[in-house]
Amino acid sequence: MVRAVGDFTTLRRLKISFVYISESRLYFFLNHFPPILGLMSERELIARAKAGDFSAFSALIDKHKSRIYGLARKLAGNDQDAEDIMQDTFLKAIDKIGQFRGEAAFGTWLYSIALNEGRSLLSKQKWTELQPVEAYLPSGGSSDMHSEQAARLFDWKDPHKLLEQEELRAIIDNAIAELPYQYRVAFLLRYSEELSIKEISELIGESVAATKSRVLRARLALRDTLSSSFEVKYAKKV
Amino acid sequence: MPKKCSDYIQDLNDYLDGEISPELCEEIDKHVGECKNCRLMVDSMKMTVKLCREGKSEELPVQLQDKLTSLLKKRWDEKFKSSQK
Repeated sequence: MVRAVGDFTTLRRLKISFVYISESRLYFFLNHFPPILGLMSERELIARAKAGDFSAFSALIDKHKSRIYGLARKLAGNDQDAEDIMQDTFLKAIDKIGQFRGEAAFGTWLYSIALNEGRSLLSKQKWTELQPVEAYLPSGGSSDMHSEQAARLFDWKDPHKLLEQEELRAIIDNAIAELPYQYRVAFLLRYSEELSIKEISELIGESVAATKSRVLRARLALRDTLSSSFEVKYAKKV
Repeated sequence: MPKKCSDYIQDLNDYLDGEISPELCEEIDKHVGECKNCRLMVDSMKMTVKLCREGKSEELPVQLQDKLTSLLKKRWDEKFKSSQK
């Protein structure tokens, strides 16, 4: 009967209201043709996966695996650790699928597992605090950037025009890798995964205010690192 | 008393992400128009996010997809076979 429910939903999605078919033929049809998983909602796939249907779980993973791998790749900064984080995330999802209550979206649930896996795998990486936001002002903490004492900020112009593509990519990847882990997570979730501050705060277990501050400090620190690198690279080009 | 540059720094992300009130947005626009350092700061903060969003898409390599599927199937069978016993 479970299969029948799934297939009736599929028929509804295909806007098939009436099917002239005898009951015995209908059950033959339902029992001999597999359900179209690609047309099912996430909720239906989760229900099937919880009941032990691997193809439903696989269809769920298919929807999210590239994003999880992309996040893991950016978090880890290398292919091997990214592969480990991704695999461990989905293996953990199998172990915990019975506990998934649907309070968060399935993708968000996977993110939270991936962040935990990333944290344990990359635990040897530095977990330091960044400076307060004021320290990233060019005046180095003094409040007024108009003042004569304030250093003139380096003008980036257009890095695409001034640097080779590969060179630029390496600078960006290194700058992200230099961010302390908790700041890298906040920055990537906000600007690479485009989650809201509220979603990130729930994922990392911090208040909205603390999350906002973390994202801002990450962005300022990243800007600072990129600026120093561009200044050095541009000088070499002249 | 006029605001200083540092008074705006806490709001910069919200300003750049379009998540502040129109009044504050207008005020920061005006300040940025008058302060060269703040303009360079804002431009480079915008560029920071733009640059980090660029780059190759992290598509899962095909050989990794196959490996992942067989690994997950193995764990799945272990989990559900053991729960049926």
